Amino acid sequence: MNHITLIWIIAEKDLRIEYRSRQQAFLTTLFFALLILVIFIFAFDPGSRATRDASPGILWVALLFPGVIQLNRSFQTEIEEGTLCGMILSPVDRGVLFLGKLVANWIFLVIIDLLILLAFVIFFNFAFSSQLLWIVLLIVLASVGITGVGTIFAAMVSSIHTREVLLPILLFPILVPIILAALSGTQEILLREQMQSLNRSIQLLVGFDVIFLAAGFLLFEYVVGD
Amino acid sequence: MSWEIEHILTRSAARYLRITGWLLIPLYFLMVLALYGAFLYAPTEKVMGEVQRIFYFHVGAAWNAFLAFFGVFLGGLAYLITRKQWWDHLAAASAEIGVVFTTIVLTTGPIWAKPVWNTWWPWGDPRVMTTMVLWLIYIAYLILRSSLPEGEKKYRYCAVFGIIGFLDVPIVWFSIRWWRTIHPLVITGTGEQLEPEMIHALVVSVITFTVLYLSLLMLRMAMRLNSSVAEEVGQRLLEERVERV
Repeated sequence: MNHITLIWIIAEKDLRIEYRSRQQAFLTTLFFALLILVIFIFAFDPGSRATRDASPGILWVALLFPGVIQLNRSFQTEIEEGTLCGMILSPVDRGVLFLGKLVANWIFLVIIDLLILLAFVIFFNFAFSSQLLWIVLLIVLASVGITGVGTIFAAMVSSIHTREVLLPILLFPILVPIILAALSGTQEILLREQMQSLNRSIQLLVGFDVIFLAAGFLLFEYVVGD
Repeated sequence: MSWEIEHILTRSAARYLRITGWLLIPLYFLMVLALYGAFLYAPTEKVMGEVQRIFYFHVGAAWNAFLAFFGVFLGGLAYLITRKQWWDHLAAASAEIGVVFTTIVLTTGPIWAKPVWNTWWPWGDPRVMTTMVLWLIYIAYLILRSSLPEGEKKYRYCAVFGIIGFLDVPIVWFSIRWWRTIHPLVITGTGEQLEPEMIHALVVSVITFTVLYLSLLMLRMAMRLNSSVAEEVGQRLLEERVERV
């Protein structure tokens, strides 16, 4: 079997587990994101100019927090069922294992994020125009970097009982570059007429993705080393 | 761990303490010299006034913090390659020192910034923001350390986080600098020329802080070695007593 097939087998396993558990965790996470948006709408006057200016920030807060919850689940079931050991013992390269978990996390994250984006557009009264596709692209790219570091950190904290708090504490400071690039890109799309620096945002996101993916790929071996 | 190994560990801890003792002598003279340089030798800055003198301690502390975080990176990398616990001690001690000195940087900064820039916390400045993120990363590192049970797994995880954290620093710096350019500039250039006396005082201050880092590092390493030995001995005595009963 070639590497691509192996990666997909591992990712598909995670997706199937999620599907068979009647998407309960998935829906709960989504509901949490919805709640964040609603709280922001209560906190600020939704019609005002100031809220509109702050809306890219609100969107990314609503995207990041549920994302961390989803990442935390990635290794939780593996630990609970004792299946991580089995995966490590299987004749699969650690890098392949990492990429498999990463692909599953990435698919979850993108699906959740797109649904949040939908709610965001409706709540904050933005138009469904082709410009939204650029935000989708930013989400897809940012998710690569987020899962790149997120998968390795989720594996690290999975055995600690305070993992729910620990993962965002570890993850958010490291992800500052990705968040900044995605945020400024979103500001550019939602608030400005001409998008002169959107290209830069996208280029930076791709660059950060490559760095974080490479770091995760190389260091994952040391996290599941036993 | 056998008694001989513990004996060696205690001996090397004692050696670090001795090195600390020796470092304290030049440190004492350097500190007096640095204080003299900062408060008497260096001229008062024309525009900013006396508050500018905090600069010598601010830059020294920032240099120390960077040195310490490089120690975390180096310790982590060397641990993953050699699997010797000594390197983890180095990384852990460096992280503690680094967080303390970053805190000093983040406290002395606003004291200076308020009268000069008329703001405690200039969020648009890449140096301020990067230092802030650095502080958060290494506090997260210490939290990770304290949440993992003692053992080889802990050293590995901390090494991985220390490496990613250090590699993140230039990326954070770059992204904030780029991000700032599309925002209104809160602070315009502060690139005034330094007097030669000021540069002398700064150099002495940085050397002093470097020696301070080394002494603190040796002290913390000795403490870590001793406490791991103490833990091991305590465990052993407990087991022996259980066996006798």
